[in-house]
Amino acid sequence: MSLNMSPKWFTQPTGIGFFICFCLIGASPFSFSKTVSEGFSQDQASELIFDRCENCHNDYIFSGSWSVEDVDVSDIPHGKNQRLWEAMLKAVSMGDMPPADKKQLTPEDKASLLHWLETSLDSYSKLNPNPGRATIRRLNRSEYANSVRDLLALDVDVTESLPGDDSGYGFDNNADVLGVSTTLLERYLSVAGKLSRLATGVAGISASKENYLIPKDGPVKNSGVPSFDLRMNDELPLDSRGGGSFDFYAPITGVYEIAGFINANTSNEVDRLEILRHSFTLTLPAGSHNIGLTFRKRLAMQEHVPTVREGTSYVVLPDREPGILDLDFIVDGARIHSKKVPSYYMSPRFSQAAFLRDVLEIEVIGPITRNNEVRHKNRAMDTSETPSSRKIFVCFPTPSVSPEESAIAELDCARKIITNLTAEAYRRPTSDDDIQPLLHVFKQSRVDLDFRASIATTIQALLVAPSFLYLQEPTPKNVSPGSVYKISDYVFAARLALFLWSSLPDKELTDLAEKGQLREPHILRQQIKRMLGSEKARALTNNFAGQWLYLRNLPHHFPDVFEFPEFNIPLRHAIKRETELFFTRIVKDNLLVFDFLNADYSYLNEQLATHYRIEGVKGNAFRKVFLDEQANRGGLLGHASILTLTSNPNHTSPVKRGKWILDNLLAASPPPPPPDIPSLIAQHDGIALSAREQLARHREDPVCASCHVRMDPLGLALEKYDAVGAHRTMYADQKIDVTAQMPDGTHFEGLHGLHSILWDRRERFAQAFINRLLTYGLGRGLEASDQPTIRNIARQASSENYRIHSIIEAVVGSTPFNFKKAPEANNENQQIAQAR
Amino acid sequence: MKINRSLKLVNTGPSRRFFLKGLGAAVALPMMESLVPAAMAKSLEKRPKRMTVFYSPNGIRMQQYTPNIVGKNYDMTPILRPLEKIRDKFSVISGLAHYQASAFDSPPAGHGRSCPAFLTGVHAKATEGSDIYCGISVDQVAAKYFAKDTQLASLELGIEPPSLLGSCDINYSCTYTNTISWRSPTQALPAIVTPSDVFEHLFGDGNKIDETTRQMRLAHKSSILDFINEEAKRVNQSLGVNDRHKMEQYLESIRDVERRITKAQETTIEMNLDGFTVPANIPADYQEHVKIMLDLQMLALQTDMTRVSTFMLGRELSNHAYTNLGVPDGHHALSHHANIPEKIDKLVKINTYHMELFADYLEKMANIPDGESNLLDNTFVIRGACIGESNEHDHMNLPIILAGGGLEGNRHIVTKKHTPMCNLLLSVLQQMGVPAQSFGDSSGPLAGLVT
Repeated sequence: MSLNMSPKWFTQPTGIGFFICFCLIGASPFSFSKTVSEGFSQDQASELIFDRCENCHNDYIFSGSWSVEDVDVSDIPHGKNQRLWEAMLKAVSMGDMPPADKKQLTPEDKASLLHWLETSLDSYSKLNPNPGRATIRRLNRSEYANSVRDLLALDVDVTESLPGDDSGYGFDNNADVLGVSTTLLERYLSVAGKLSRLATGVAGISASKENYLIPKDGPVKNSGVPSFDLRMNDELPLDSRGGGSFDFYAPITGVYEIAGFINANTSNEVDRLEILRHSFTLTLPAGSHNIGLTFRKRLAMQEHVPTVREGTSYVVLPDREPGILDLDFIVDGARIHSKKVPSYYMSPRFSQAAFLRDVLEIEVIGPITRNNEVRHKNRAMDTSETPSSRKIFVCFPTPSVSPEESAIAELDCARKIITNLTAEAYRRPTSDDDIQPLLHVFKQSRVDLDFRASIATTIQALLVAPSFLYLQEPTPKNVSPGSVYKISDYVFAARLALFLWSSLPDKELTDLAEKGQLREPHILRQQIKRMLGSEKARALTNNFAGQWLYLRNLPHHFPDVFEFPEFNIPLRHAIKRETELFFTRIVKDNLLVFDFLNADYSYLNEQLATHYRIEGVKGNAFRKVFLDEQANRGGLLGHASILTLTSNPNHTSPVKRGKWILDNLLAASPPPPPPDIPSLIAQHDGIALSAREQLARHREDPVCASCHVRMDPLGLALEKYDAVGAHRTMYADQKIDVTAQMPDGTHFEGLHGLHSILWDRRERFAQAFINRLLTYGLGRGLEASDQPTIRNIARQASSENYRIHSIIEAVVGSTPFNFKKAPEANNENQQIAQAR
Repeated sequence: MKINRSLKLVNTGPSRRFFLKGLGAAVALPMMESLVPAAMAKSLEKRPKRMTVFYSPNGIRMQQYTPNIVGKNYDMTPILRPLEKIRDKFSVISGLAHYQASAFDSPPAGHGRSCPAFLTGVHAKATEGSDIYCGISVDQVAAKYFAKDTQLASLELGIEPPSLLGSCDINYSCTYTNTISWRSPTQALPAIVTPSDVFEHLFGDGNKIDETTRQMRLAHKSSILDFINEEAKRVNQSLGVNDRHKMEQYLESIRDVERRITKAQETTIEMNLDGFTVPANIPADYQEHVKIMLDLQMLALQTDMTRVSTFMLGRELSNHAYTNLGVPDGHHALSHHANIPEKIDKLVKINTYHMELFADYLEKMANIPDGESNLLDNTFVIRGACIGESNEHDHMNLPIILAGGGLEGNRHIVTKKHTPMCNLLLSVLQQMGVPAQSFGDSSGPLAGLVT
């Protein structure tokens, strides 16, 4: 700051400061109005800042680890202290600064200051585009699985076979944290081997077994594992109940055995007794199939099920003969075989039959014998051909009598095959330098293996090559070190495909990139719409929404089974599906992002509607349901998924919920808590305390209050939703009070009150959403220099009412997404020093 | 025995294989020698030490198990009788305890606490939810130490599939009784129960293995590594300094994997692999299932794919019916015999059968040559259960046998009452060369173990 006053004077208590600032305001000849921008000069900003901030942010008190002496209003056009200025902008616009107990800014002052800050920072950014730091980025496991699936046209999902990735800034596609370890490399080699053999049709030499454990809840009162009179997933026939299905990839056309174990009715639920194994042998064509085992749904229940017994001291023996049930074998949604089975099994160790007969585990063994021992000459007739073998083998070497000619023909064909795949895998046009090393791998394998198997090994090598595993963005030759340049259309296409599909660019994108047309505005817009409309965009739901909304944690969240016995497998699936559908439809239908806050609709099925106590929704299938006032739902905060994930296993946590809102909807994360926090007191004098009372401590202690005044009110407003998201009005024998107060004094109540609060801050939410989407799209954490980009995107989106496509398009069109900074000159030591 | 195949494939001059092979001797175990007491150094010359755990669920009928004299040449009790032939290779150790498996403030449960304590010496958190908390198990301590030298840090095998979600022992999550290996307090390692899964884990595709195929696969793997190594160098040329640092991780991993391949190529398998195939399905016959899982374990140890492995004959709380012994009752049900003689007899039958399986295992290991001695002499085998007298859930007097490792056998060691089992576990770690000073609730290495 350039004022020449001695700082000592200004460390006096507020009295004098007040006095000074009163003078300043009083003496000012300028009028401060909301629209003034030309009027608010650097000097005025400087005065205001010094006046309101210096009392605490000075060299002696040094609040927030900065002092007004650190900054100067002339910093911004020179790009200095960006982090501090952006932080100031955020703190003032959020209303955090000045703190509630200090003199506040007048609305005019605040507007002018913010406007000045924003405009200055944004113009600097426009004049000095900074795409930010970009570390070389490894494909995470989901991106790897999808890329391989698309490259080889192989409908196999290997996500679960690869180790989980670390996350940074909330997403597991953060380039900085995606490393490679020896274990990971071994796993990649192993998975690549398996995939390459499946894709080329080399696998299936010997029989192997794949099994699928149907997800189940734990046993209830030692009476057996619950089963349901419901259709368990969308792949199964409409007239099925119970059981389940999974995706099985048959390596070759051949004979396979499908078998399943039904429940044992003994006290050892892992029993897989032979007598309970039912199998069927059939011929399956090579490729992916959905294989299931279910019981037949009847309108009138055929089974008699005794009541669940209390305690473990006696066994309820059946009082009638078992009925006969239909056990169905399902392949690709069609019932191909059926067997009659009894409705319970009486064994010497009979101990439970308190639930419907159900399937516990499905296995597929094979190929037991191969069909087509000799490959059919006419490839169209060869049913061992799969989409992947067709894509890979663009040619077959014609065998010849002379070994030299054969070898040449093979090499020729191998080269064609490799060239065809490598360009797509490396996401750019390839040269001989790329092909030759792979051809060498082929030649080395060919010494021991046949043509097909050698191609398999070559593909295995391709799938672990650094140009596939990492997103390579080499600096073009004509770019000077340290300068900002526009990335090529190929690199852009690669980034775009990773963003919207978590996969490789397809042919249409690559062709447009080749012609240099991909970034023409109307073509780009069209392509984005096409990509978002494609099936592959489910990656955006699974990976972006899955992490932004914490949905990925759901399988690992276990609410207390005694407190919440209703939280069973069907309900668990339903709450996940609701949020997934909600997000997917907003993207597909290009709705306003504010629907995330307060949509008056959601997607429910019967289980979920019962859980929400909403009437009139029948059946297992999901459908859009409009929510009225009585529904007590609306927006993400009414979703059981979010409410469950932000709770503890047996009680709600207003703090977790408040923090979630701050983190994910308002981009206003609180700092971490101090160490040594004592636990909450749940009872006082033997009387259970409500959550509000337990958290009263937060308000009493000023150290706690500074952060908790922001979080607790938001979570307390949701207290009428229990730890699994069901609505309640009483807790600890008291009526639940959901009134709350924001730090700035605004009162609100319950979910609908929360909706108003968030609606008032909807631009903040839009920016938070953009922040999350941009972090995901760039694969790196955002810095101060990215904030102008966010504001820019927000402006673009605002012109289209914040429809989600406008945000996605603006992210794709932003500077960091399109530009890159060339590495500095080759002085290594200098660079290492600078990096520090 | 086998020529290094990769020599044949070189056509552009000396490959990196040459270079690494020359260092072959130096790559073997310099670390271990410097850390192991001089007395043991001699036997470590070529082959490393391994550790396996052979586990039975639901305790043992102690009255028919514990020998009645201390020291050498004790009489074989009914349950120990199957081990007569191999008595020189193991010691029976009585009196070891896991104090941490006691209830303290937790609700009553036996299996749910004793099983997680068995190899960790830790009092597990009483919960049925996802907030399980235990400790790191002794096999994982060893696994971490040797992880750099082997393809797999450890191998967890079992016979019974894990129990389903929810609780098994009341108030204790099923995770606590599904496994005995814990990589960290929150990460339990599941046991693989399907032979073909183990095979795939070790060798990749297929179900047959012979030396030629094994070497061929290793050679192909090396050529892929050569390829990606060259590619990485090529790619590095157009990267900035920061990105090159990132790629360094990739290159380092390549070097590590190459080292392992070289070692694997130099090892020869002494097991008779003729006709060694793995069924696609889990064998219906219990005995056959056990045999094949153990064969796979021995194969993995021999080829130095791993040096640490645990094997569970059944999950804790197993209620398996051993119909092949003519015992139709569930094991767990029998283990709560309430002193009824018929039930005790059947339980002893099961205990003895488990001991027979153990005897077969030890004999087979003793017959596999390993460097200058045999696999059993180079492996510390801990056999036991997390509970002593089954009916009482007694975790303060555990039925433990320590076999192999080149230690003195044919003795019944009776420790001072309530000596921590962790003392034994610590001793084994130290004998393997792991620089541990304490483990779990150990008070020091087990006195009288190493003579």
